[in-house]
Amino acid sequence: MNLNAQFEFGGKLKRVLLGGMVLGVVCLALSFVGDDEYHTRFWTNWLHNSVYFTGIAFTAMLFLSAQITAFAGWMVTFKRVWEAMSQFMWVGIILMGVIAVGVWGHFHHLYHWNTPGISDPNSPVYDEILAGKSSFLNPVWFTVGVLGFLALWYYWAKNLRQASVDQDTMETAALDYNKKQRKWAASFLPIGGFLSTVFIWQSVMSIDSHWYSTMFAWYSTISMLLGGISLTIMLLIYLKSLGYMEYITQNHLHDLGKYLFGISVFWTYLWFDQFMLIWYANIGEETIYFKERMTHYPVLFWGNLLLNFVTPFLILMRNDTKRKFGTMFFVSIIVFFGHWWDFFYMIKPGARIAAFEAKEIAEGRFSHHTGATTLNDHIPAAAESHDAPAHTTVATAHDSTAAHGTAVESHDAPTHASTGTPEVHANASQAGTHGEGPHDVTDAGHGDGHGAEAAAHHGPDKSFKLGYSFPGFPELGLMIGFLSLFLYFFFWQLSKAPLLPAKDPYLEESLHHDTGALIEGEEGGHAHH
Amino acid sequence: MAAHQSTKVLYGLYNDEEDLKQAVKVANAGHLDIMDVFTPFPVHGLDPILGLKESRLHYLGFIYGAIGALFGFGIMSWVFTMDWPLMIGGKPYWAVPAFIPITFELTVLFSAWGMTLTFYTICGLWPGVKAQTLDNRITDDKFCIAFDVTDGADDTALKNFFSRTGAAEVNIKTL
Repeated sequence: MNLNAQFEFGGKLKRVLLGGMVLGVVCLALSFVGDDEYHTRFWTNWLHNSVYFTGIAFTAMLFLSAQITAFAGWMVTFKRVWEAMSQFMWVGIILMGVIAVGVWGHFHHLYHWNTPGISDPNSPVYDEILAGKSSFLNPVWFTVGVLGFLALWYYWAKNLRQASVDQDTMETAALDYNKKQRKWAASFLPIGGFLSTVFIWQSVMSIDSHWYSTMFAWYSTISMLLGGISLTIMLLIYLKSLGYMEYITQNHLHDLGKYLFGISVFWTYLWFDQFMLIWYANIGEETIYFKERMTHYPVLFWGNLLLNFVTPFLILMRNDTKRKFGTMFFVSIIVFFGHWWDFFYMIKPGARIAAFEAKEIAEGRFSHHTGATTLNDHIPAAAESHDAPAHTTVATAHDSTAAHGTAVESHDAPTHASTGTPEVHANASQAGTHGEGPHDVTDAGHGDGHGAEAAAHHGPDKSFKLGYSFPGFPELGLMIGFLSLFLYFFFWQLSKAPLLPAKDPYLEESLHHDTGALIEGEEGGHAHH
Repeated sequence: MAAHQSTKVLYGLYNDEEDLKQAVKVANAGHLDIMDVFTPFPVHGLDPILGLKESRLHYLGFIYGAIGALFGFGIMSWVFTMDWPLMIGGKPYWAVPAFIPITFELTVLFSAWGMTLTFYTICGLWPGVKAQTLDNRITDDKFCIAFDVTDGADDTALKNFFSRTGAAEVNIKTL
């Protein structure tokens, strides 16, 4: 066993990864041409992949820090992999920097809060809700929350790795550098854990700028973490196939598999919590998020659960599947793609509406209203009795239903307030025939006919469209491109230090790591009786 | 073996789990028939060298859990759609998302209780059972290998085995 092996970043692998990057550039260009006038597809694709792959680098650092802080020894044999992955945050600053430049220069319309005059009461595009959020949703905070925090995290990742690499120069294994690593790791946990929420709010959640969810940051950070763990598993299996890291055994894989399984269930828990709380509370401005996605993006919505919950849950439930390299590689591909899909689902539908709003403003059709999701806004359409004046609060049982019906198309609520009322009625009665739940908003599909009609005239396009409702070829190619960029950087970083931290005091524990699992028919699993 | 019949046990105590694992390997090589091994904590890697089979308890755990899930979801569906439909918060009667947490809880409950009761039943642990331990220290800091010597055969080989593998103490006890 060669304990001093160093990864050699060879010519063939380099060529393959460069080829992948070229494919990515081509797909980026493909999504730029033949796009709408704001190049929404191009910008969402860029944001989607930048956030996902930067997030993977971040969670590699977060996870490594958690392990080091907990005095864990089992992962020492492959911690250089996480150290190398975390260095990608440096590239992430550039990738997200492009988005930030776009925010300052108004090159894209991903974020509705970035519309000039949105918080100016005298402006025709004044939006009361976004004005209230403007102390946080503004270009300065975007730069601090995305680029500033990334730079901060990278500083920690760089120093943690340095303390680990410096350890190799010691004569014998000693705890000095471990203490140093633990300081960087332990202090990163609050810094990374708390600040990641701001990163997510700014870069992803603010696309649906009127909407917010307290669960969102946890849920999407866990999504990144699963991307990171699945990529780690694939990389370890790949490195082993090249003949490196022969000391990585089924036992290491088993524990990574437990994390993949357990955290997938945790992701589902967060996903469902967010969904059920909003579903149960049924507040129009919150429910609209899921209403939009369940009605118009059912493949994204249900596919998300299938890829990220059902598949890993059923396959990884047994302990022997977590110890098989082939099975683990297969599940890791699905989970890695699944969480890429998850971010696609988070970003695309909202960005489509943001682009529509930008277009409305550009064409001067954006009639004055006090924010797309204030209750006042819904009342004209929600007034179900004809004698109810437009501004009276309607406290009937149908109130929430009707309000929601308009919430779907709330951008143009004032425009068709006159026609809105009978439509809402029609939908409400439809829902009545739907079954016992006349007031159910997520199920009965209120405002659908209304929405379709509105879309034909002046609503955002919600029809099935590759690149929004489902990833098209440019999206898949771009994922390969970004993955190649990530891996190129990763392998380059990996090749700069020995693969094994030979002077780590916990090395022996990792080399002899044993989960104690008893598997029938596994090699060495039987006594010679 | 019948519970009322007394069993004569020859056992050795080791100070370290690595010594114990080594001794088990030696016993395997010498074809000595170990009755059981007692340790204060689970020793990783001991089960395979003892030749223990993978437990089938988790299959039952899955079945119990599935029963719990079906039971929980089923009873809620029946109550809220057929037996006593209640309108709660404007939700449909068959409010699937609202049923999920309770379904989950019942899955865990059935699975945990089912496995626990099964395990107790298999081990003969019912209320009033008196614990029979070879030595109190095996729940503290000693690692024990036990041989059944009820048949009264010559136990020199076993005693040699204990002294060769560095057992700290060798005793005989009738349970």
